[in-house]
Amino acid sequence: MATVTVSHVSKAFGDVKAVRDVSFEVHPGEIFGLLGPNGAGKTTTIRMMLDIFRPDAGDVSIFGGRLDEAKKARIGYMPEERGLYKDLKLEPTLIYLATLKGVSESVARARLDDWLRRFDLADYRQKKVQDLSKGMQQKAQIIATLLHDPDLLIIDEPFSGLDPVNTRLVKDIIEELRQQGKTIIMSTHQMHQVEALCNRIVLINRGQAVLYGEVDQIKRNFAGNALALEGHGDFDQLPGVLEVRHQNNHTWNLTLETGANPQDVLRALLARPDVKVERFELAEPSLEDIFVTVVQSHQEADHA
Amino acid sequence: MRKLWLVARYEYNQIVKKKSFLVGVLGMPALIVIIMIISIIAALGQRSDQPLGYVDYAKLLSPTVTPPLEEGEDFTEMRAFPDETTARAALDNGDIQAYYVVPKDYMETGEIAMFYLTQQPGEIIQADFFDFLRANLLVKQPEAVQRRLYEGVNVIMRAADGSREMDTENPFNFILPYIASFFFVFIVMGSAGYMLQAVTDEKENRTIEILATSLRPIDLIGGKALGLLGVGLTQIGIWIATGILALIVVSFFIEMPPLETPWSLLAVVTLFFLPAYALVAALMTAIGSAVTDQRQGQQISGIVNLLFTFPFFFIMLIMAKPDSPIVTFLTLFPTTSFVTIALRWGMNIVPMWQLIVSWILVVGAALASIWLAARIFRLGMLSYGQPLSPKHILASLREQKSVVSNE
Repeated sequence: MATVTVSHVSKAFGDVKAVRDVSFEVHPGEIFGLLGPNGAGKTTTIRMMLDIFRPDAGDVSIFGGRLDEAKKARIGYMPEERGLYKDLKLEPTLIYLATLKGVSESVARARLDDWLRRFDLADYRQKKVQDLSKGMQQKAQIIATLLHDPDLLIIDEPFSGLDPVNTRLVKDIIEELRQQGKTIIMSTHQMHQVEALCNRIVLINRGQAVLYGEVDQIKRNFAGNALALEGHGDFDQLPGVLEVRHQNNHTWNLTLETGANPQDVLRALLARPDVKVERFELAEPSLEDIFVTVVQSHQEADHA
Repeated sequence: MRKLWLVARYEYNQIVKKKSFLVGVLGMPALIVIIMIISIIAALGQRSDQPLGYVDYAKLLSPTVTPPLEEGEDFTEMRAFPDETTARAALDNGDIQAYYVVPKDYMETGEIAMFYLTQQPGEIIQADFFDFLRANLLVKQPEAVQRRLYEGVNVIMRAADGSREMDTENPFNFILPYIASFFFVFIVMGSAGYMLQAVTDEKENRTIEILATSLRPIDLIGGKALGLLGVGLTQIGIWIATGILALIVVSFFIEMPPLETPWSLLAVVTLFFLPAYALVAALMTAIGSAVTDQRQGQQISGIVNLLFTFPFFFIMLIMAKPDSPIVTFLTLFPTTSFVTIALRWGMNIVPMWQLIVSWILVVGAALASIWLAARIFRLGMLSYGQPLSPKHILASLREQKSVVSNE
């Protein structure tokens, strides 16, 4: 049984269709990436999953049915809009939020000690939230999401505002939670983190699911769409090339338009006297390349 | 239900721990204690052990005749003088604090002169002389007549159907409804402000989305309202307790009228207070949900507060013409009913039909406003930085209705 099933949901705000016929499933024990550019409809989709918004059409099933009060206690949600009581002390704030999820105060207090130590916030438990740095507030927000030991985590930009050390810590914790059998839905723009953590993704663009499946399979499907080049000269203005990125001195990554033939690109390169090609190979694209390719090709299709 | 109590306890603790609350709650008892001390000092200053003198040219007074006294009641000694010269000498000598001259034609004119040196005797002392005079004038009347004339008239107003009655003699019957009105207004103003702040704080702190996935809106809003009601009742409870304590202490020094528990007033206050408070809390929730920040909300909430305190502007009309159409309207209108009924309670009888209709209307209005507030809250909780327009609210309510009907 899927932990989350989103089935053909749509939501409009006035004339703006925020989400259109989006469907996906999230399975127990997986890290699922909910991706998309800004304003794509990710947050609206999450809010429909959590019954904050009701969909105009379609259905959402959480833990095998409609979301109710008991199921809410099994969900940890870290929204895009971070929220803690700024003029209150850290410890009572986190305990209060955990008790609202059905955890007793004593259990919450015991768990909180561990989390505060792990996030290096133990010395700040009696500080007001507003006196903490942005990174500390972010860590506190993550603790608020985890303190009641949820079975389903929905986290929006979990690495925002964190330094590399804390980013690594959060990554490790997410991985640990997956190993414990928790289900994690992660929304982020940091594609390398998605690549490192997620089993499967859905990419939403302009309210529609445009890519959905296992990360490895998606990368294999897009393998023909990326090229690694080494050489000299100007590699811009090549037919069928969507984006050219300079990696270092003599290395470039090229993202091809959907349906473009790499052989045509090679022929075009060889025909140009101003470039010298030392290496030309098909590259497995990064998730970021795929993201850009898909989003831009949809934009072009819309403009056409 | 557990979450509702959690929210209520949290809100309560947050506010009662604030310094501003402590200052507010202790400020009033401090004021009461100061007033009490001043009253006692003034009373003690009035009560002098020195006798009063009198010169009775009308031959009406006998020093052996005294008014009927309650057990333990003090009464100033009256000393007769044959003429004004000897009375003046006693005054100059400090034997008496003042003396009265009752002229021969007193029965025709009713005029009496009082003489004192620098300090005029207090009202209580003067009242002692007039009680003495009244007792002497009535001395030849039968005892029952004496007592009746001495105690005056006690009017008890009764409704024609016998459903309610009111005793006008006891000043507490008049004062307590005013105190109830004042406390209600205080709770309305205070809790409404807190309620607005509690809702806008959630928006400003961006905590709404987390709370929305933890508990039902009704638990959140109900819990906040309950917690804030607890804050208001704590504050008023401390004040009432201090007031009662002050009355007990003062009664040792000053003669007080008997204080009976005003059961009928308590019943009507209890019946009307909760729905009226729920109405205020719901309106404040709706306002807090629709605006972007607290400052914006305060401007609108000021108008709502006015709706609840409106009867105070009509207090003269309520006193003079309690059955006028305006007063009847204020009695029935949900936001004004509580204060109007409380004010009328001390002055005249509110007809039973008005009480029943008014209660039904205020309960209905409270339920409707809770329903509306829950929907506006759900709608407005995620609209950070942009207020909800009435048009938007109406359109969304229609949408929500259709969603509900489709379910």
